Amino acid sequence: MFAYWQNFFRKHGAALSVFLLASVGFWIFMMILLPQAFMLDFSLRANVPPPKWGSDAHHYTAEHYRYMLYGSAQSVDSYNFVDLSVFARTIVAAIFVTLIDLALCYPVAYYLAHAATGGWRRLMVLSLIVPFWVNELLRAFAFKIMFGGNGIINNALLWLGVIDQPYDFIRNSVALYSGLSYAYILLMIFPIYNAVESLDRNQIEAARDLGSPWWRIHKRVVIPHAKPGITSGCTMVFMLTAGALAAPQILGGPSSLWFTQIIYQAFNQAGNWARGSAYAIILLVVCILFVLLMMRVFKVKLGEIAR
Amino acid sequence: MTPRFILTAERVRNGFAALFVLGFFAYLFGPLIIMGVTAFNSSAFPRMSPFECFTVEWFDVLANDAKLVEGLRNSLFIGVGVVLLAVPLGLSGALMLTQVKERVRPWYYTIVISPILVPGVVLGISTLLFWDRIGTMFGASRDSIFYDGFFLTIIGQATFISAYTMLVFISRLQRFDVSQEEAALDLGATHVQTFRKILLPFLKPAILSAAVLAFLASFENYNTTVFTIVSESTLTTFLAGKVRHGINPSISALAVIIVVITLLGAALHEVLKRREAAAEKETARIAAGELARRRRVKPFALEPAVLLIALVFVAGLGSAYFAGTIGVEECKAQVKAEKIRQAQERTRQREAKAMFQNAPAASEAAGQQIQSTDKSERAGVSQFQGIFDVGNLKDQAGADDGGDGAAQQSPLGTENFNPIFAPQNLSPPIDSSGDNRNDNRSDGDNRNDNRGGDQ
Repeated sequence: MFAYWQNFFRKHGAALSVFLLASVGFWIFMMILLPQAFMLDFSLRANVPPPKWGSDAHHYTAEHYRYMLYGSAQSVDSYNFVDLSVFARTIVAAIFVTLIDLALCYPVAYYLAHAATGGWRRLMVLSLIVPFWVNELLRAFAFKIMFGGNGIINNALLWLGVIDQPYDFIRNSVALYSGLSYAYILLMIFPIYNAVESLDRNQIEAARDLGSPWWRIHKRVVIPHAKPGITSGCTMVFMLTAGALAAPQILGGPSSLWFTQIIYQAFNQAGNWARGSAYAIILLVVCILFVLLMMRVFKVKLGEIAR
Repeated sequence: MTPRFILTAERVRNGFAALFVLGFFAYLFGPLIIMGVTAFNSSAFPRMSPFECFTVEWFDVLANDAKLVEGLRNSLFIGVGVVLLAVPLGLSGALMLTQVKERVRPWYYTIVISPILVPGVVLGISTLLFWDRIGTMFGASRDSIFYDGFFLTIIGQATFISAYTMLVFISRLQRFDVSQEEAALDLGATHVQTFRKILLPFLKPAILSAAVLAFLASFENYNTTVFTIVSESTLTTFLAGKVRHGINPSISALAVIIVVITLLGAALHEVLKRREAAAEKETARIAAGELARRRRVKPFALEPAVLLIALVFVAGLGSAYFAGTIGVEECKAQVKAEKIRQAQERTRQREAKAMFQNAPAASEAAGQQIQSTDKSERAGVSQFQGIFDVGNLKDQAGADDGGDGAAQQSPLGTENFNPIFAPQNLSPPIDSSGDNRNDNRSDGDNRNDNRGGDQ
C-alpha cells in the first residue's frame, strides 16, 4: 500500500498529487458520502427546533418512518393513506412516463440512426437538443398554456367538435404526464440513438436477406444490441421523473401531489426537516433499488447506465 | 421511361415511420412555438388565439422586473462558481480513475458517478443539512458561509455537475496517447511541466466543453437549488414562484430570448465544427504531400456563414422591434373598440330579450350588481375571466385588459357563469331561474363597458 502511494507521488510530483488527492477527497467525502450519512442520521432523530440540535432532546427515533407508514408516531392502527398513495402514484406514474418515452424514442432513434442520412440527420440531432436548452420550468409553463381551459388544444378539440365542453387537462393529470414525458425525453433518445447507431448495418441486411420480417429483426438483432442504451435511458428517465419537482408544482392538479412535493412541504411549509429528510431517504432508497433492479434484470454495468 | 410508383409494404412502413418522426418533432417544438407566439401577443394572458396585436411590450416588462434581473445575476454568479469548482473536480476525478488500483476502480467509479443518479431534491437536502451541522460544530454564526445560500448552492450543484464534467474528461482521456507523457518525462521535463505542456493542452477542448456544460447545468437547475438557496433567489426559483402564482406573457418573452440564444449558439457551434474539420483535412493533405503549405485561415468573424447568421439575427431583431412598437397602440385601440362594440351589441340583444320577458326585475337587479362588482374589482375580473374562458371565446379578450390576476380562474365564477354562454344555453331560459341569469349576464357586459370607457 505504501509502495503504491510512493509510486503515485513519484509519478505525478508532489504538487499535483496533493491537488488530486485533496480535490477528489473533498468531492467524495464532503460532497457525496458525508452529506448523505448526515441526512440519514438527521432523519432518525426527533424533530426539535434548530437551537436544540445536538442536545438530549435531539435523540434517536424512528418516528418519521413510522409516520410515513401509519400517519402517526404512536399508533399502528391505520395506515397513512395520504402519503402512501402519493408515493405509490409517483412511482407508478414514473414507470408509466418511462414506458411512454421508450415507445416514443425507440422508433425515432432507430430512424435517425439507420434511415436518415447526411445533412438531415445532423440537423435532426441538433434540433433534438435545442428544446432542452430551454429551462425545465419554462417548458412546463408552455404545457400549462397549451393545456389550459382556453389553450390551443381545447380550442382545437372544440373546433373539431370532438368535445363540446373544454376538458380539464390539468385536473386530470394529462398535462402533468405529457409535461414529464417531454421534460426528460432527451435522456431517453440519446442513449438509444448511440447504441443503435453502433450496430453494423450489415447485420440488419443479413437478417433481411435471410427472410426475417421487420419485427423479428428488431426483436432479435436491434433490441439486443441496443439493450445497454435502452436500460440507461429508462433508468435516467425514471429517476428524474420520480425526483421531479418543477413540473408537478406547475402542472399538477389541485388534488394530485408528487412525492417530492410532500418533501418540499415538510421542509418549507411544515418546518419539519427531520420528516423531510426521512422521506428523502425513502426516495433515495427506492431509486437505488430501481437502479440495482435494472442492472440485475438487463445484466448491464453501472458504467453503461450513467454516461 | 420513369419507373412506376408501386405501393409496397416497405414503402407504407417507411411512410408511417416518417410521419411518426414528423409528429415527434412537432411534439418537441410545439411548446416552443406556442411560447414564441404568446410572447408577441398583446393579450395579457399568454395565449395563441385570438391573436390581438403584435407587440414587444412583454420584453419591456421583463427587462423592468427588478427581481428577475436580480435572480438572473445570482444565477450567473452561481454558474461561474460551479464552473470554477466542478471543472477541476471533474478533471481530478477523471485523472484519478486512471490511477486507482484495478480492484478499487469499480467502487471508486460507483461512488463518483452516483450523484448523477441521486434525485436532485435529495442532494439539495443533504447539502443543506450537512453544512448546517458543520457550521454548528464550529459554532459559526448564522450569517457565516455555512448558512450562505450562494455557497450552499454552488456546493450542492457541483456535487453532481462534477460527475458530468468527469464523464467529458474520461471520454477525452481515453484517446490520450500515454507515450507522449513518457517521452516528455524521458526528455527531462518535470511532472508539473508535463502536466502543463502535454496533458492540459490535450484536454483543452474538453475543459471548454465541460465548462459550458457545467454552466448550463447550473443555470438550469431547480431541484437542488430550491433547497440550498435559503433566502436568496435565482432565475429558476424566481420563475417557479412566478409561474405558480399567475402567469403572464413576459415569461414567454424570456423563453423566446433563451431559444434565440440557443439557436445562435448551435449555429455558431456548427460553423466552428466545420472549420475544425476543414483544418484537419488540410493537415492530412499536407501530410500526404498534396498541399505545399497551409492556406491562410479566415478570421472567424468573417466566415460567410457567421456573417449570414449575424445578418439574419439583426434583421429579425429589427423587424420584430419595429413591428412590435409601431402602430401597436392603434391596433390595441381597435381591438378594444371592437370588443366594446360586441359587448354593446350583446347587451342590446339581451335587454331586448329581458324586456320581452320581465323587464323591471331584471334591470333593477342589474343596477345593484354593478355597484357590488365595482367594490370587488379583482374578484370580479377573475370571475368574468372564468365566464369568457369557457363559453364564449370571442369575447374573452374583454376581461383581459383588466390585469394579469385574471389568469387564475375562480371556481365560483366558472360554476355560476359558465353555462350561460355555453352554446347550448344561448336561447333564453324561460324557467324561474331565468331572471337571475340575466342579471349576471348584463352585469358582465357592464363591466366591460366601464373598462372600455376608463381607458
